[in-house]
Amino acid sequence: MSAEVHETLNEAAPDADSLEAGRTAVSSEGHPAGLILRALSPKNVSAVYVLILIIIVFSFWAPDTFPQFATVRQVLNSNAVVGLAALSLAIPLSARVFDLSFAYTMSLTGVTTAHFVASSNWPLPAAVAIALGVALLVGFINAVVVVVMRVDSMIGTLATGSIISAFITFVTGDTSIISGKLYGGFSEIGQTTRFGFILPVYYMLVVALVLWVVLEYTPLGRRIYATGFNTEAARLSGIRTKRIQFCSLLASAFIAGIAGISLSSILGSGSPTAGTAYLLPAFAAAFLGATQIKAGRFNAWGTILGVITLGAGTTGLALATAPPWAGNMFTGVVLIAALAVTTVQRKPSTGASLLSRLRGAKGS
Amino acid sequence: MSVAQVAEEDGVATPILALRNVSKTFPGTRALKSVDLDIRAGEVHALVGANGSGKSTLIKVLSGYHDVDPGAEAAYDGVPFTLGHTDTDPQHRVRFVHQDLGMVNELNAMDNLAMTAGFERGPGGLIDWSRQRQKTNQMLARLGVTLDVRRPLADASPVERTIVAIARALIGWESGRGLLVLDEPTAVLPHTEVERLLDIVREVQRMGASVLYVSHRLDEVFDIADRVTVLRDGHKEGTYDVSTLDQQRLAELMVGAQVDANFRLERPVVTGADVVLEVRGLSGTFLTGFSCEVRRGEILGIAGLAGSGAEEVPYLVSGSRAPSSPLAEVRIEGGRWNRLSGARRVEIPIVPADRAREAVIGPFSVRENLSLKVLDSVTKRSLLGRGRERVLVSDWVRKLQIKVGSSEDPITSLSGGNQQKVIIGRCLAAHPEVLVLAEPTAGVDVGTRQAIYTLIGELAEQGLAVVVTSTDANDLIALCSRVVVLSHGRQVATLQGRDVTEHNLLTAMEAETVER
Repeated sequence: MSAEVHETLNEAAPDADSLEAGRTAVSSEGHPAGLILRALSPKNVSAVYVLILIIIVFSFWAPDTFPQFATVRQVLNSNAVVGLAALSLAIPLSARVFDLSFAYTMSLTGVTTAHFVASSNWPLPAAVAIALGVALLVGFINAVVVVVMRVDSMIGTLATGSIISAFITFVTGDTSIISGKLYGGFSEIGQTTRFGFILPVYYMLVVALVLWVVLEYTPLGRRIYATGFNTEAARLSGIRTKRIQFCSLLASAFIAGIAGISLSSILGSGSPTAGTAYLLPAFAAAFLGATQIKAGRFNAWGTILGVITLGAGTTGLALATAPPWAGNMFTGVVLIAALAVTTVQRKPSTGASLLSRLRGAKGS
Repeated sequence: MSVAQVAEEDGVATPILALRNVSKTFPGTRALKSVDLDIRAGEVHALVGANGSGKSTLIKVLSGYHDVDPGAEAAYDGVPFTLGHTDTDPQHRVRFVHQDLGMVNELNAMDNLAMTAGFERGPGGLIDWSRQRQKTNQMLARLGVTLDVRRPLADASPVERTIVAIARALIGWESGRGLLVLDEPTAVLPHTEVERLLDIVREVQRMGASVLYVSHRLDEVFDIADRVTVLRDGHKEGTYDVSTLDQQRLAELMVGAQVDANFRLERPVVTGADVVLEVRGLSGTFLTGFSCEVRRGEILGIAGLAGSGAEEVPYLVSGSRAPSSPLAEVRIEGGRWNRLSGARRVEIPIVPADRAREAVIGPFSVRENLSLKVLDSVTKRSLLGRGRERVLVSDWVRKLQIKVGSSEDPITSLSGGNQQKVIIGRCLAAHPEVLVLAEPTAGVDVGTRQAIYTLIGELAEQGLAVVVTSTDANDLIALCSRVVVLSHGRQVATLQGRDVTEHNLLTAMEAETVER
């Protein structure tokens, strides 16, 4: 980190040209203290401040149940699957592709694994491998629909999601797969705890780590962002934008598969509708994440921060015995607030009020 | 002209718009430094300046998009007003046509104008379309224009869209004094359509209005303006009667240094060197069976009017647009012939014509934009080397003399010319044998323009083969020792050496058009 600071300093100092042009260097730019301040500024990590506020509020509201280590465990354990789902979304969203079918993919992989474990004598790894293969197949179909057939991704994946859901109903008859066999090795996938946290928490952290490295530190990540920000410019720069969007849908389905298997293992059954409940929280966390840490970009740790903030709020509401609608209300409000704040920040004019800006635009 | 002269002789005429001590500070930058500006009644007043000189900022302060720094004064026709609040006065006569026009291209001229002027209503509050059409035609007729008002603007030519935008700005202003501000109205227009726009500006002047005309193109200033104000680095260099200047002098005032308005690289016609790029059988929407050879160190120009196919050449040659002919082939350095129709990716680096849409990745920093094509070369063990990337980028920033505070700044904070340099740097960083350029100086000011010419010349000197298309004949004259002229998709002439002149280019482009 300090090496970076030095480089920035060296770059900024001898720039006579920029001084000539009347552009004096901004004071916080390149100054170590400025960098730290900027990293902690509400513009970059507003969710952390919201999180602190949540902790304070619920510590007073539910003083007996909330301020305990068990709450930390509960937030993470009950939101690991949300985290996996949100991370799966962050990939195609970075390349400006929506994947609305991921929730159905989660149900499908859960049902598939449960089915092969319950009604055949195949070893567990084989069942998991088949389920992940099915997830990849879904991703492939999504990619063909969206990238090859050029159907708008929002509508296209909504349609494939509907087809997946129909397929699940056709095979299962809308009944959950329940079997004694599911209490063996299968349940360990999601229910085993290490240091108080269930395994899916660690899956989530591993996926986040991989995604962080890929998006931030590899050429592929840079190309994914370029594709998302300006597909045509990226294509004309020699980036294979179609391939990137294609593969982003494959990756998204694969991670949704991991999320689905974890979820069915936690539930101990293969529920045909288990994934549907994750649609809103996962999108909320991914979009909230895009306003955090690397504002304007979907990113791994921002997404995790989003998951934890939203999770802490909903968990707190549950512990404070708030009415059942409060959780969804909270998620919706935080999401809108976060997105609205970031959109306002991106406006070029800082001084002018919104009203006078509208007036100025009217004259154009 | 006459009104301006009268005002001069009287010496007492109130300016239609007077600005005093206008400053604008952005975080870290003083974009305007106490600028004064007087616009006389009835004159066309040009506002010129290099990229980043503060032209756009001044216009945006005037329109109220930016708040002005305290201490500024403004008066319209002698009556003081608060900058940025012209809209609160329904009688105000300062009207704007911004660079992006702000039209809804999916709708036609009638709907676009009605959005401001209101609809003509018939019985029951329903729109009376025939009266509406009449009214629209009247609004356009004032400017001496007839258009198909029912055609979506997306299908109209760029100049027609601009004209509709001007008509909209003039709504509710029958005649008499006023000020129309045109912000770079010709920036997106092909050269061939500029004259039509200038006619409209003269028409507006004839109605009695003053026009504040912002432009990059110096020849337009001499065509249309009575006086010109030059901005440089945020301060006012001065206001001059156009008749006392020539292009050379004006360019020097803008840049603050010696420039050559008739700059030419004067490179000899390349004959002996190896052929680096060969293209054959290339067809596109307009282009038909195009072939060419470009030698090492040669800058080949492709000229043609809109619809001649010239504008397609860079995209087709680079492989970024699929040709309509399956047999189109390209060969680099005498290697294998490659089919262009099967091309999956862009092989030859291209500097596209539409910088904002096709080249710049807005949310990216200068660094991320510049290194986009060479990420693999700064990657070690599949991880990006940030240090190596920074070195590479700062190398190119220095070599191309890109004016930027830090390469971590967003690219959108740069002026058009400097953005263009970043895009050229993006292509050059890949050390290509061939480079294709479309509209290399679109939206680039005169000083930077010459820097870009010199840069491309140096690259050719080092052995780069360059293909360039431009609707600005000056680009081709400055750069090329050989120009292929296209008309209706076919090659109609080749100009070489000193024969590459504006007159010869226009004759070749247009003569064939008439013949057909």
